[in-house]
Amino acid sequence: MINPLLELKDISHSFLLNSGQNIKVLQNIQLTIVPNEILVILGPSGSGKSTILRILAGLLAPTYGKVFSHEKILQTANPEVSMVFQNFALLPWLTAWENIYIGLDSSALSKEEKELRTKKIITMVGLGGFEEAYPRELSGGMKQKVGLARALVMQRPILFLDEPFSALDVLTAESLRREVLNVWKKKEASLQSLVLVTHNIHEAALMGGRIIVLGTNPGHIRLNIKNDLPYPRDEKSSAFKTLVENIHDIITEVIIPDTPEWVPPALAPHSVEAVPPVNINEILGLLELVASNNGRVDAFALAQKLMKDSVQILLMAKAAELLDLVDTPKNSIVLTEVGKKLVQGDSNEKKQIIQNALMQLKLTQILLEKIEGNPNLSLSYESGAELVHELLPNENSEKVLDTMIQWCRYGEVFNYNDNTKALYKDIPEKNT
Amino acid sequence: MKTYGIYKRQGLSLYDLTAIICIAFLLYGVIATAKRWSGDLTPSAPISLSLKELPLYAVYSLFRASIAYILSFIFAIVVGYAAAKNKMAEKIILPLLDIGQSLPVLGFLPGLVLGLIALFPKNNFGLELACIIMIFTSQTWNMCFSFYSSVKAVPESIQEMGTIVGLSRIQRLFKIELPYSATGLAWNSLVSMAGGWFFLTVCEAFTLENKNFRLPGLGSYMAIAIENGNTQAIFFGIVAMLAVIILMDFVIWRPIIAWTSKFQLDNSSESSSTEIPFMSLLLKESPVVQELLNFLKNIFSRLGFYSSFFNKKYKPLKIAQQYKSSPKKIYLIKVILISILCVLSFTVVGKIYALLITLTKREISLIFIGSFYTFLRVFAALAIASLWTIPIGIFIGSSPKWTRIFQPIIQIIASFPAPMIFPLVLIILQFFGIRMGAGACFLMLIGVQWYLLFNVLAGAIGISHQLRDSFRLMGVSKKQTWLKLYLPSIFPSLVTGWIAAAGSAWNASIVAEYIQSQGTTLSTLGLGALISDATAKANYGVLTASLLLMIGIVIITNRLLWQPLLQFSENRFPMEQR
Repeated sequence: MINPLLELKDISHSFLLNSGQNIKVLQNIQLTIVPNEILVILGPSGSGKSTILRILAGLLAPTYGKVFSHEKILQTANPEVSMVFQNFALLPWLTAWENIYIGLDSSALSKEEKELRTKKIITMVGLGGFEEAYPRELSGGMKQKVGLARALVMQRPILFLDEPFSALDVLTAESLRREVLNVWKKKEASLQSLVLVTHNIHEAALMGGRIIVLGTNPGHIRLNIKNDLPYPRDEKSSAFKTLVENIHDIITEVIIPDTPEWVPPALAPHSVEAVPPVNINEILGLLELVASNNGRVDAFALAQKLMKDSVQILLMAKAAELLDLVDTPKNSIVLTEVGKKLVQGDSNEKKQIIQNALMQLKLTQILLEKIEGNPNLSLSYESGAELVHELLPNENSEKVLDTMIQWCRYGEVFNYNDNTKALYKDIPEKNT
Repeated sequence: MKTYGIYKRQGLSLYDLTAIICIAFLLYGVIATAKRWSGDLTPSAPISLSLKELPLYAVYSLFRASIAYILSFIFAIVVGYAAAKNKMAEKIILPLLDIGQSLPVLGFLPGLVLGLIALFPKNNFGLELACIIMIFTSQTWNMCFSFYSSVKAVPESIQEMGTIVGLSRIQRLFKIELPYSATGLAWNSLVSMAGGWFFLTVCEAFTLENKNFRLPGLGSYMAIAIENGNTQAIFFGIVAMLAVIILMDFVIWRPIIAWTSKFQLDNSSESSSTEIPFMSLLLKESPVVQELLNFLKNIFSRLGFYSSFFNKKYKPLKIAQQYKSSPKKIYLIKVILISILCVLSFTVVGKIYALLITLTKREISLIFIGSFYTFLRVFAALAIASLWTIPIGIFIGSSPKWTRIFQPIIQIIASFPAPMIFPLVLIILQFFGIRMGAGACFLMLIGVQWYLLFNVLAGAIGISHQLRDSFRLMGVSKKQTWLKLYLPSIFPSLVTGWIAAAGSAWNASIVAEYIQSQGTTLSTLGLGALISDATAKANYGVLTASLLLMIGIVIITNRLLWQPLLQFSENRFPMEQR
């Protein structure tokens, strides 16, 4: 077996939120990175994929478990790793040249050598002519090229890419992906292995030699897929399409399982469902789209058509399903009878249907019970978040509560006052 | 705004000439200051009202203020950095800064002066140092806060980038953290320097234990001029002070602020004035300056300063330990800190107690009644200042043309140390039959209204143009536009202004309620007057009690009034939604 460059053993990690809540984001992660591979870590938001990357880079010490670099325990920032960031992480007051040059600031090379290297990299990524440009003068794609050049100029064996294309438009992202693949294939800048973190299935299939699919709550490794398709990959080929569909099925299964995971009743007395962080208007929009498509669409095809992230579409579908507005057999989204009524109704009827649907949710019932249990018909945000945390210990309770507030405001189930930070119900007037 | 090439020219250019004058002036100042510091102790320096001496006095004052400012800057960087980088230090430093900010600095003058003179009985070092420390304690706190919050606000990905690239702590400070805080530090420096002039003029001439203390400078010059009723000297004293302030503004602050605009984070600032101040050009275009800079660089690199400091060899930083800090070590540090604190507070409390039991009943009741009156004056001054600064500030701020004209003028007027002209204003007030009680309030108003105007102006500049246009399109009445748009928009800045103004109003009461002029002492009932009076008469019991009460009142109003108001304004009228 080849000696791994980097290895994670039994990694678990928890974050302490400002609210004092402890959230477990990673559980029992085992992972190796070997020379000459592109490893893709794929997962929906909240699966802890960026956390894995930061632990591998030595930016973050895991709560539990060990990180090995060449079979030695890693105790500092990993000196073999360079990184490209989602939001570019460029210094706004430095030119493109200076931003790249900073990658060599701490190296022992001579000044001439540093300048030579910088020049070479600039030509390689196609930034020639933009040396004196400030980040504000550059488009998103050009900015990320600077970020890439800064990482490559260090000539480190491992390159980490943390959702590097997600802030770019579709076409720019596509061309940059090809560029990164080229750099890796030619083994330029002494690059050996790439680790890419993404939530984009298409991107994973296009680039990954090995794809790790993560599950959520807490983040864990769901599957390890080997992808032997030769580079450059033909997206039209049936092999590529099959691969994408397979991964998609797995992700769908993660987000909207057909067979609900069995939970011991003692742990979930109310079987409360966590609401996904989706805007209520997005749900309504999704329903309209499904209706205009004769009441049935394929989630993945829809994502591609809208050029949206399929994970986001799946979350919307999950939210709609929670409210009983759609069913999700396999990858499809199908309107229910209630869903059809909602699409045809006027805005008052829509509100009424959402209200009824919300009242069916255990979480709504529990929150309402608390609000109505209070003599002035209100509940502080803090106690609301605490309550959610008790019911759903693995979720970010504030996110869940924010979503609930937003939905319930629309459905007029209860209201929220941001000044007093309280959930409340209007006291019914006696005369009406 | 690209880099400007260095033109190789023959002979001396205008830039060179300016540079040489500046350098010569600097040398002259250093020598004059050194001479004064090492000279025999002269607690009450003779002040000559002749015009010939005035430039030298200006140099003395300028150097005092500058040394204090440089100390404040270094202190702010060290303390702000420690608080931002170390959780433990943060917990200790932040409350201390908060207290430091609310100290009525002037009340500590006597202790400091006597102590330092005892330390340096032979020369003027102690006396000068006391003055500088007073100025320092008036200017450093806001700079500390500014640097601390800027470092805290550096995006996480930028910090991570620094770690991955392998920047050392020093490199990180110079490449990332200082640039990120440059804009905030520059503006806060400006405010600090203005506050510094205020205290400088007070500290240059004061009475302690019935003895007159005088340090040669513009402040003491003015004091003597007013005392002698020498109109010509008064006039030129004011002119000299204004000249120093305007010169500083042109030579130092404008270039610095123009330079820091490069580090502004939002990308929309391109449209801000592209005019390049003379001094920035000077730095780039004068061969003399370039030669000098190269010379300094050479010396530094010879000393190995550069190589060891900036080009530190790559050594990765240790992984941030989230949970693994050993509780034993923390416990030990806590025990040591608490025991030091206990010992300190026991001795201090003992000393204070010994002073406080000397108070008579009459004195105690005077202190409480006095603080009530001063309290009223502070808030009256704030109310009057608000009445005129809000409409004027909004009017000027909402028109780019007026802003361009008035902002620099206001900046200079705000920097002018009000205590210098207090006796003068008082004479005028008395002419109109206004008594000292109301007069003190008026003097405080003169001192603090600029903080308010400045902040309202900044808020008004930020009022959204889209919102203003939409209000006009909807045909909203003037009154409603003010109530619904202008006032809510400036409210957060207004609160910030109130906090700054209230703090300095308390401080100003010490000089505004008790004024010595032409051989007589004018004072009114108030906490500030009590402090000044106790200082002059060496009544340390009253001094201690009044000081403690003032600190207490400032801290309590901060906690109970200003902080909640600030929080409310930030929640209710958040900035980013505009």
